[in-house]
Parts: sequence; structure tokens; C-alpha cells
Amino acid sequence: MTGEALQNIYLNNFHKNNNAKFVPFAGYNMPINYKHGIINEHIHVRTHAGIFDVSHMGQILISLTSENILALEFYIPLDIKLLQFNKCHYSFILNSHGGVIDDIMLSKIKIEDEEFIYIVYNASRKKVLNEIFKKILLNYKIIQDRCLLALQGPDSFSVITSILNLSSSMKFLDVAILEYKNTKVFISRSGYTGEDGFEISILDNIAENFVQKIIQNENTILCGLGCRDSLRMEAGLSLYGNELNEEINPIQAGLSWALDKNRLDDKNLNCFHVLSKEINTSQSIKKIGLSPVNKSMLRAQMTLHNKNNKEIGKITSGCYSPILKKSIAIGYINKTSDMSEKIYVNIRDKLEEIQIEKIPFVKKNYKKGD
Amino acid sequence: MSEKKYTEEHEWVKLDGETAIVGITNHAQESLGDIVFVDLPAVGKEVKAKEELCVIESVKAASDIYSPLDGEVLEVNENLSNDASIVNQDAENEGWIFKLKVSDISQVNNLMTLDQYKEFLDK
Repeated sequence: MTGEALQNIYLNNFHKNNNAKFVPFAGYNMPINYKHGIINEHIHVRTHAGIFDVSHMGQILISLTSENILALEFYIPLDIKLLQFNKCHYSFILNSHGGVIDDIMLSKIKIEDEEFIYIVYNASRKKVLNEIFKKILLNYKIIQDRCLLALQGPDSFSVITSILNLSSSMKFLDVAILEYKNTKVFISRSGYTGEDGFEISILDNIAENFVQKIIQNENTILCGLGCRDSLRMEAGLSLYGNELNEEINPIQAGLSWALDKNRLDDKNLNCFHVLSKEINTSQSIKKIGLSPVNKSMLRAQMTLHNKNNKEIGKITSGCYSPILKKSIAIGYINKTSDMSEKIYVNIRDKLEEIQIEKIPFVKKNYKKGD
Repeated sequence: MSEKKYTEEHEWVKLDGETAIVGITNHAQESLGDIVFVDLPAVGKEVKAKEELCVIESVKAASDIYSPLDGEVLEVNENLSNDASIVNQDAENEGWIFKLKVSDISQVNNLMTLDQYKEFLDK
């Protein structure tokens, strides 16, 4: 972000006082980890619970009118009219080639009898999306007065219910609007770590008090973006800017499950002709999971090669997996490559053998319905 | 053994005759965070001062380690292949990374003393 000063999130001072180390991310000064370090925070989320401040992300409330639905459905491959209230959906804002302008969480909610579409989107895409929203929507509000928190890990439910009156029937991707200190809190049973957990949109001025209460519980620690990245990679989840960009469509990214197939023939979806063709033919590239044969670390941008040293793909995300105790990576490989042959990665100009792994690397632990 | 010397790239050097023991400083391991892999150099490799010799990987990123002096790699700390976190636990002793046979001992005079290194960190 050259030339632009970093923005602080609302609880910046709180994080400072809790020994956060900061890193610039998408124009924001964000906690990367706290005193326990990335690996300990990662393991704590897999075994107990951690709370992340992800208030850099975009949040928007859009009045649920037929005009706004039509306008959004030009970009979003969901049938918004048919969606139930209080369920969130992973989806995309797509360009006319089917490329991903952003990946989003979308839900229909009611606040005091008024109906809205609530979308959470990436910090790095705020500029682009806010332009689109401005162009196509009437009656909407880009939320500027709420923090977004993510409580993640197997103990999340017991931790959150010590503060909020949440029903035990709430399942993965369910949404609830709750009353807390005479304000509305938007809660979804979701997150981006592969664990059970909640994303909580809460007014700025009560957020610190809320986080304090959460971390008073001995099973919860503050966690930064460092372990959020390794957690989402273990869970095989895509990150915008790494696995997703405007040149890659959701089918190539292995995310066709998130597309409403009925919408792929709908002329009101700007890229319907591309996606309907793509889904029926073999794609040019596909997403794969990888790990090194020896102990090397795999990182984004490293190139993949066949035994004849021909470049056949690229790593888009790589990290150390604290659970598997080795490096893991996600990348794209040409669909025509012979997967029975050995694959190599270029690490600092040396070719090293790597192996294909199943995604997710670590089993997801969502609270699904019976 | 002589006193430890330091580089601007946050390596420490301890001389034992013509052998230099090299590692990264405690300050460096703290700012790198959890260290998960050290790509150790090949024994016998000849290297010039300030040349990249090997790479240390933390959870966050890969960082180059530079040779503080001209010389030849005599030995590497194989313990780090099994447990790179030794560098976090004890960067300036057990977490040493390689030993060099030094070719020009006078180069040591170009390195910083502990006080100079502390001053350098405060800048």
C-alpha cells in the first residue's frame, strides 16, 4: 500500500496493551500474534478456543429490495430471493469472465422487522467493492461502527454462552441477531479456521468489554492473523489474493460447491456463459494440496515442475502446519499434467520432490446438524 | 575463546582459533518468531563475508543468513534438522548454526562488539 498510511482498527490500543505484534495487512495495522506466538495460538484454537479481531474486513447492510437483489445477483452466483433468513452462505462477487472479484459471506437477516442482506468481504477488496456497491445499490450502509470478532475452536460454544444467550440448536452457518447491552449483535456460527466457532459483529463501543469477558475464560486466548493463516491452510480454505483473484474462476479454485447451479444458466449473472461452459468441460488448471518429501518449507509463488523441469504450476499458499509438524501448501497445477509422475518444486533454484496431499490437510470440526 | 562479535544482519560470531562459530542473535530469533526449519549449508562450501549462506524459516517467512567472514564451512549443527526451535530456545549457544574455517582473521575487526551491537539495535 504505497503512499497510504496504515489504518488502525478500533481496538488497536487494546491489542497493544495485550502485547500484540503488528504487521501491515491490506492497508491495516493488524495483530499477527500475541505473547504465546503463532504456533501456540494455532494449537490453542485446535484444542480450546481463540479470539481473533478481524475488524479490518468489510461489512455492509443492504436493504432487501427486489432492485438490490437483482443488482447483486448480476455479480453473485446465489439465488438471493430463495435464501432462508438467518443462514450465511459462502459466495463470490464475480467479474464478466467468471474471475473472483472477492469471496464473501452473505446472509439475509431481520433487524426489528426490517429485512437486510448482510455481507462480509475482504479488507483488500474494500475499494473495488465499495465502488461496485455504490454503482449498483440503493439503500445500503457500509458498516463503520462495528468490530468483527471471530471466536474459534472446540470450546467456542461454552465460552460464548457464558456471555450470550445462544441456542444450542444453532448449527454451522446459522445466523442469530441477539440483544447485548441494549444493542444488536450479529452472530454466525462460522469462521475460517476449520473449527467450530462464531463470527461476531458488535458495536465498537462495547467490543472491548466483550473481548475482555471472552478472554477471562481460561480456555480462550487472543490470536492474531499469523495463526489464522496457518489454520485456514490446514483446513484447505482459500485466501483472496493467494488462491483467488480476478483471473481464476470458482470452478478452477475447486469451489463449484459454492455456486448455485441454477444460476449458471441465468442471463442476469454477468459471467453465466463462462461458468456454464466451464462446469461442463475440463478446466485448464486445478487446485491441489502439497507437502515436501523432505523437511523444506513451501511458500507462495514457488513454481512446480515435472521431471523434465517443465513448469506445470505454482504454489499459492504455503506454511508450516503446527498439527502435522511439516510444511503444507496449496497450489494450482495444469490439468494436463501427469499426476502419476513425480512433481518437483523450485526452492531457491533447487528442485525438490513434493507429494500431493488431500485437502483439507486437517479434518474440519464444524457443528453440523444431525 | 574470544568474545562474541556481531553483524548488522544479526548474526553472532565466536572465534576459537581459526574456527568461527556462527548463529543468529537472540534479538533476531525474537523478531522472527517460531523457527520451524533451518536450511543448513553444505559442509565444505566456500563463502565470502556478507554472502548469503543459508536460510532460516520461521512460521512467518524465510530469512537469509549471511556469512560474517570469508571462509569454508567446517561443520553444521545437525541438531537443528530435528528441532529448529532450539534456535528460539537458545539462539546464542545451543542454537549455533555453522562453523567456519576462517581465511582472514583480521576481518573480525569489522564486526561489532556487544556494546556496539546494542547501540545498533537502539538506533
